Amino acid sequence: MQVVNLDELKRDGRLWQGRRNTLAADHVLPSGWAVLDELLGGGWPRAALIEILSDGHQGLPLLLPLLADRRVAARWLVWIAPPYVPYAPALAARGIRVEQLLLVEDVSAEQSLWAGEQALKSGACGAVLLWPGQLQTAQLRRLQLAAEQGDCPGILFRSPRAASQGSPAALRLRVRPAPLGLEVEVLKRRGAWGNARCVVPLRAYVGGGDVLR
Amino acid sequence: MLWLALYFPQLPLEVFVRGRQQAGALVVVEQQGGREQVSRCNAAAQAYGIRPGLMLPAALALCAGLSVQARERAREQQALHELALWAYQFSARISFEPSLLLLEVGASLRLFGGLSALMAPLLRELGQMGYTAQYAVAPTPTAAALLARNRPVTEVLDRQQIDAAVHDLPLACLTRDQQVRDLIRHIGLGSIGDALDLPRPELTRRTTPALSMLLDRLLGRMPDPREAWQPPQHFAQTIELLGEITHTTALVFPARRLMVSLCGFLRGHGGGAQRLQWHLTHRDLPATHFGLGMLDPSRDPDHMLELFRERIERLQLPAPVIEIRLAVSDWQAFEERSLTLFDGQADVDHALLERLRNRLGEQRVRGLRCLADHRPERAWCLCEPGELPDVSDHSAVARASHPPWLLPQPRPLRERQGVPQYGGELRLEQLPERIETGWWDGYDITRDYFIAHSRAGERLWVFRDRRGGGWYLHGLFI
Repeated sequence: MQVVNLDELKRDGRLWQGRRNTLAADHVLPSGWAVLDELLGGGWPRAALIEILSDGHQGLPLLLPLLADRRVAARWLVWIAPPYVPYAPALAARGIRVEQLLLVEDVSAEQSLWAGEQALKSGACGAVLLWPGQLQTAQLRRLQLAAEQGDCPGILFRSPRAASQGSPAALRLRVRPAPLGLEVEVLKRRGAWGNARCVVPLRAYVGGGDVLR
Repeated sequence: MLWLALYFPQLPLEVFVRGRQQAGALVVVEQQGGREQVSRCNAAAQAYGIRPGLMLPAALALCAGLSVQARERAREQQALHELALWAYQFSARISFEPSLLLLEVGASLRLFGGLSALMAPLLRELGQMGYTAQYAVAPTPTAAALLARNRPVTEVLDRQQIDAAVHDLPLACLTRDQQVRDLIRHIGLGSIGDALDLPRPELTRRTTPALSMLLDRLLGRMPDPREAWQPPQHFAQTIELLGEITHTTALVFPARRLMVSLCGFLRGHGGGAQRLQWHLTHRDLPATHFGLGMLDPSRDPDHMLELFRERIERLQLPAPVIEIRLAVSDWQAFEERSLTLFDGQADVDHALLERLRNRLGEQRVRGLRCLADHRPERAWCLCEPGELPDVSDHSAVARASHPPWLLPQPRPLRERQGVPQYGGELRLEQLPERIETGWWDGYDITRDYFIAHSRAGERLWVFRDRRGGGWYLHGLFI
């Protein structure tokens, strides 16, 4: 007979309790966005897979405050197959220690998954960001297990088409551009209802003035 | 002085089979009176009833699929030198006899804390390299060599006990000199003890001074100078694979043997290797070679093996491999890492980087750095992972109004009535930022950067080239 510790299940959100909305503080990483923390019950899940679905690789700014967090940035920040060049001065201006970045580029889909799994489970990373192609559910499960093993958040940037596919990720978000920033919709959140949404005010974060035309 | 003798009875065979995990029935033959006679045979051949001393046709009659190799003494000699290079970690004073190494271990015993503490790793690593040895320890090199050949595992620590240890060994064992052997046979002396019991002047007069001198050296009554061997400073060793290997996984076995040998060499020289050069020889095509880099100098064969495995998984062999070679051209002074100085986390971080780079290639795993320049294309560069910024780069232009994503190249945008298009008309935010600089290095730009909104709601970083005209997309905010 397997003995399960009930408190532990409650703490890391595996056991869903109807009224409770927040995870224990040591199982989340504050996102740096007040509205998002509220939406996610305290912040990003810590040792888990997070999916961000969007048209055209959106959603990186949501993570920039996390990457600047001192606890996270003490280790490698691994970016696997990013779609564009991470612009170092702009990242530095947002408090990110650029020398902690590890860019894995010019790799096949298979290699990027291998690298993602190795990075997640190594215990050497503060966060792993991955821009994969199509993924099988079994591959997602491997990544989720690796994230748990290495106590590291793994963030997957995927196409909205993936929404119909089942996923073991602890959190799935759909993001869309909104006039003030990014609209974030929760598709799935371990231990909570889906369908909540908010707008993260990126506009104030990146600066900018009034529209000219 | 205490001498450790390592005798390799199977060396003629082992130089051929040590590259393969499983070899079929194999014999090594020697010319004996114009005919070929089995000199050594492996276990698979013994299973057919083949024994040393058998004539080759008889052996072939017992096993039709028998592999036959002619004995190659030059190769045995080479192997013995490679073994000496490895053994240099246990003793700085090494000399040779046929199929035998002599190591002066009096000083090493204190260092290692006793004979058994020295012998355990020594015999284990010999096995890992594919050699079997008989050993003996004695205060004189002649006695140690004699005992290793004829009475292995004897340990004589005191000079007075040599006599007792060798007393009933045949006198003929003492020398390979045929003249002396004939003489011994003619005068009817059986054992070493018989000769030692005779009065020495009588013995010398009746036989030759050579025999008497041998006996004196055996007991340590006369100096026995041995030429001291100087180890080379570079490591390069080859294992022939006894046939062809088509799967890279079969390379792991001989590769590990080479790595154990290398790490022995490195310990002997107090160094660590940072880059291993591997050469795989093919029969007709040019050799395949690749390097294996490590972040820190290492002499841990298990660590090297792990990297090797990952590297060869993605290796495409153009043809079967017949020979594998490991070379290390430069090695660095090595300090054993103490756990109090380095925390475990640094090791974990290094291990990940090393694993990624060895599997994917160094150019695919990079770090990022800011540079002190106003031009977006020149304000960053790829670098070695973990490389800290230069002091001069602290003045790097940090702009919170710049986007986190940059396009590798500015992308020209179509323009309609002076308005840039990107999936429809772009709306520009007020107050462009002018970036205008670079006349000194030939990359001169004059641009007005705007934050622009696309129809789809994306926020883009676009510029108007003030010199050449035209609009370009250069970055993305979301």
